[in-house]
Amino acid sequence: MRRAGKADDRPDGELVRAFLRRDPSAAEALYDRFAPRVFGLGMVMLGNASQAEDLVQDTFVKVWRKASTFDSARGSLDTWVLLVARSLAIDLIRRRVLETRILASQQEPTEVSVAPGPEELAETRDLTDRARQAMNALTPGQRAALELAYFQGKTSTEVAELEGIPVGTAKTRIRTALVKLREALEVHHEL
Amino acid sequence: MSCDEVREQLPDYSLGTLSDIESAALRRHLRGCAGCRAEAQKLDEGVALFASAAHAMEPPPELKSKVLGVLEEEWQEAPPAKPRVHRLGMISWPAVAAVLVLLAGALVWGGVAQSDAGRFRADVSSYQQFLHALGGKDVRVATLSARSPQVIQGSAVLYDSDRGQSWALVMAHAPGYSGSLNVVLSAANGRTISLHPIELDANGEGSTWLVTAADISSFRVVRLTDATGRLLAAGTVSER
Repeated sequence: MRRAGKADDRPDGELVRAFLRRDPSAAEALYDRFAPRVFGLGMVMLGNASQAEDLVQDTFVKVWRKASTFDSARGSLDTWVLLVARSLAIDLIRRRVLETRILASQQEPTEVSVAPGPEELAETRDLTDRARQAMNALTPGQRAALELAYFQGKTSTEVAELEGIPVGTAKTRIRTALVKLREALEVHHEL
Repeated sequence: MSCDEVREQLPDYSLGTLSDIESAALRRHLRGCAGCRAEAQKLDEGVALFASAAHAMEPPPELKSKVLGVLEEEWQEAPPAKPRVHRLGMISWPAVAAVLVLLAGALVWGGVAQSDAGRFRADVSSYQQFLHALGGKDVRVATLSARSPQVIQGSAVLYDSDRGQSWALVMAHAPGYSGSLNVVLSAANGRTISLHPIELDANGEGSTWLVTAADISSFRVVRLTDATGRLLAAGTVSER
């Protein structure tokens, strides 16, 4: 997705160091680079725009507070930020489930609507469709393994248990899925 | 870990589902294996591209100013960024000592009076770099003048650290004097710190120094005495 203006071309480490120095241009560059994916991740995992916006804010605050721990030698900035966002989204989901259970045990059932509205449902479906299109390059087994690992943070062992397959097979499916996606989507982005 | 073992774990590593211990072992291998690093990068790119394609969506335009505003609040409330300070194990203490000796020596042998200490600070081009490297608050200097018929000169450099490693360096030049010089730092409240005695060489020159975790910012008077306690020289460090 192209944005107006020149993209920041600073290397990851330099960008993070500038962010640590409280450089507003670095903050803006990080926002432009990651907000769409984090917001979209929030829409897919949390199901509504309001919580997706909260996820964006919480992610950037956490990235700021943990920026000194980022080490470009350990991995890319992209995966680091995305995993921070995913971890926060999973925490939100768990908290939501817990609150729902507590509420259900304490109160009379009420007709409070917590479901997303029609627009939000459409947006989420659209995103889910796009995710599914990106995954069309994969076999059903590879797709299921990657979705469990990526969106739910399941380890290969957990994926294996859930799918009823050997751990080695789960690892191979996830790896193959990522490699195939990279090959397929790289071509797409070059167009 | 072998390359085969590492590559088995790379998908979990890229997706952030390895334990901290497993991640650390894997990173250790990656640091020394270009082949596995290339594989790890490939998988990282797969994750990033998947995220872009699968769930990138422009957030509402007003969200940007809101998030940047929140970050601005974080920055204002967070402690100010401190200059990078080397961990103690990385400091070359002999090099630091040499710089301190040069600073103190310039004061004694160049005859720079205490009142000129401020100019000295401005003149020494390495002064700011020195402070930046150490991360401390300031260097205080004093010229020690004779308080007895004994010909004696001296200077003191006190470095106040905000990270628990303060310094004091005292140099003396007493031609013809035999014996050692006792060195005491004094604070206004009566507290004193005794440094190791200065053992003068054949030229009558010597120094002593102290590294301490104590806060020495309140110590302002430096005294040199002989073995009997007779005051030979003293000086007061300049105010910061």
